[in-house]
Amino acid sequence: MNVRGKVLGIFGLLVAVVLFTGFMNPRFFSADNLENVVQRTSLYGILGIGAAFSIVTGGIDLSIGSVVGLSATILPMLITAGVPAPAAVLGVLLIGALLGAIHGLLITRVGLQPFVVTLCGLLVYRGIARRISGDQTLGIDDEALRSLATGSPFSIGSFDVPAPVFLLLIVGVLAALFLGRSVWGRWLLALGRNPEAAHYAGVPVDRMIVVAYVLSSLLAALGGVLFALDIGSIQPAAMGNFYELYAIAAAVLGGCSLRGGEGSILGVVLGAAVMRLLYNSIVLLGIPSQLEFAIVGGVLLLGAIADETVRKIAGKRRAAERARARSQDTTS
Amino acid sequence: MKRPAGGVPMSGWRNRSGAPTVRDMTPSPLRSTLLHRRVLPALALAALAACGGAADSGGPRFAYVTNGVDPFWNVAGAGARAAATEFGVDVDLVFPEGGAVDQKQKLEDLLIRGVDGIAVAVIDGKNMVSFMDDIAGKTHLITHDSDAPDSKRRCFVGVDNYACGRACGELLREALPDGGKVALFVGRLEQENAQLRRQGVIDALLDRSFDSTRRDAADATPSGNGFTIVATRTDGFDKSLAKSNAEDILVAHPDLAGMVGLFAYNAPACLEALRSQDKLGKVEISAFDEQVATLDAIAKGTVLGTVSQNPFQYGYHSVRILNGLHAGDESVLPEGGTLTVDPTVVTRENLEEFRAKLEKDIAAGS
Repeated sequence: MNVRGKVLGIFGLLVAVVLFTGFMNPRFFSADNLENVVQRTSLYGILGIGAAFSIVTGGIDLSIGSVVGLSATILPMLITAGVPAPAAVLGVLLIGALLGAIHGLLITRVGLQPFVVTLCGLLVYRGIARRISGDQTLGIDDEALRSLATGSPFSIGSFDVPAPVFLLLIVGVLAALFLGRSVWGRWLLALGRNPEAAHYAGVPVDRMIVVAYVLSSLLAALGGVLFALDIGSIQPAAMGNFYELYAIAAAVLGGCSLRGGEGSILGVVLGAAVMRLLYNSIVLLGIPSQLEFAIVGGVLLLGAIADETVRKIAGKRRAAERARARSQDTTS
Repeated sequence: MKRPAGGVPMSGWRNRSGAPTVRDMTPSPLRSTLLHRRVLPALALAALAACGGAADSGGPRFAYVTNGVDPFWNVAGAGARAAATEFGVDVDLVFPEGGAVDQKQKLEDLLIRGVDGIAVAVIDGKNMVSFMDDIAGKTHLITHDSDAPDSKRRCFVGVDNYACGRACGELLREALPDGGKVALFVGRLEQENAQLRRQGVIDALLDRSFDSTRRDAADATPSGNGFTIVATRTDGFDKSLAKSNAEDILVAHPDLAGMVGLFAYNAPACLEALRSQDKLGKVEISAFDEQVATLDAIAKGTVLGTVSQNPFQYGYHSVRILNGLHAGDESVLPEGGTLTVDPTVVTRENLEEFRAKLEKDIAAGS
């Protein structure tokens, strides 16, 4: 099955979870709840889009959660030190991009595996975040800045559109255009599928890999800023723990192949939405929180099984059709 | 089949053979995909909701929200359940395991779901004030275990962690009249209860005055009264890291005289570390909370004693107060906004009595 089929599949899963939760507890459809889910999807979706860039190259970025933690830690420290808010945000994003560039260079120039490089990143950035903050909880009370994550620029009826959804839209549209419509995006997908062939076809493989990791860490840093602004309270040792796995799950759920060369930004956003919906519905349906991971994992697994089953059935039918077409060709 | 120029498929919207994707989407498998995807997870969720969903007695429903997952919270949850049974109400126990972000999202979801009151152990009482105020505007809100004193929460149920820390330090001080090197172990130092306990232990050991606003830096090694605090090691609630932290400290300080476990699992982790290095009984341990391993070790004499915060009382009083507020009875609110639960210092002398009461409490909440 192709990427577009996968996107339709994940959309089906999304509709199923929405309908089921809404049927069991109609409050699910209340404006407040939809705002919450959309707002969370925006935050986790941005991380997922970042993860997608490293995954389409056939790599992986395990450092996302720690970059979230580090940027969420640096932001309030810069603000407390008197740096104006816009400059502080810009500084954090630059640090994110720089970390991504380091990952990319270590992978392409030194020849290390993405898993190793970003795993070390995961550990190093967590340690730095804890050290520079002295393990102290940090706060952000700049309400104007916080409205970037918690505010709502306008309402549709009683639904206050959460501000981060616009950031997700901007990031998502740019990323989709980049990946699906630009020559660089095609290069990324091509090198993810077969780096050697891409190299011989004239694709600047190394440079594009660096770009992919820069985008991944840049979006992780943006996510970190938004998470920090959303919660207003940053525990450097815990902030963003495991978020790389949520991001990777959203990307894979949304149709990115871990083998590289395949991916859809819309799918990733839908994947992030499914993850957040599951967490939301667990509370709304009063399911004991001990079962949380089991349910999220179970639904993801069922999705993967359904996906693979349909892929096989479709493959068989295609083969049969081709055989039929061939026999018709020879008879005519 | 023709390949695009250059030998590689240059578009993500094409499949591996290079054919336009739209051709592959025969309608029938697609329809069956959607059917599959709708039906399977829905069935799974339905089954889970049916077997695991919370009971509904039709009376008021309260939520008891913790700051993580721990056996400590199971005892507190038993208290909440016991009160729910006593007053004929429903209580949801909610354990956010993903830190402050997770706690915030679960609280938001509970408000949507509709509850008649929430008791929460606030992860960051300083910076989550406006969020707590939002909740207080929508339902009855009280805090337990860790407070958000500047928020509009109606009251706080908990122990005085600084006093508890001092009590824990006193245990060690009595056992080590000549002083010595002491190491502290804790899950997270960002939490105020952890900071207060740590300070209480240090101040008791160093024979300082009673001052809960004092703070030694996280990496400080204060000394006095014959004692030196050689380190405060954090483990982020990772139990195996807690053990290796203790082991590493034992290697770094062969002459260590005492260890203090500030969170429930820390003293058992110290015990394991001592056992693995054949030093059991050679280093004194004082503990917090009532994990089975800690109580067993008190019986054996390998742990001096533990400071129990009586978590059952947290749960019980939280639900009792919420139920009163829901019924419009303000007299349930404690004076000064704080219901101080008395800690119990458990040593070999009162161990059996304490255990019997604990078992009775847990049975009452199951």
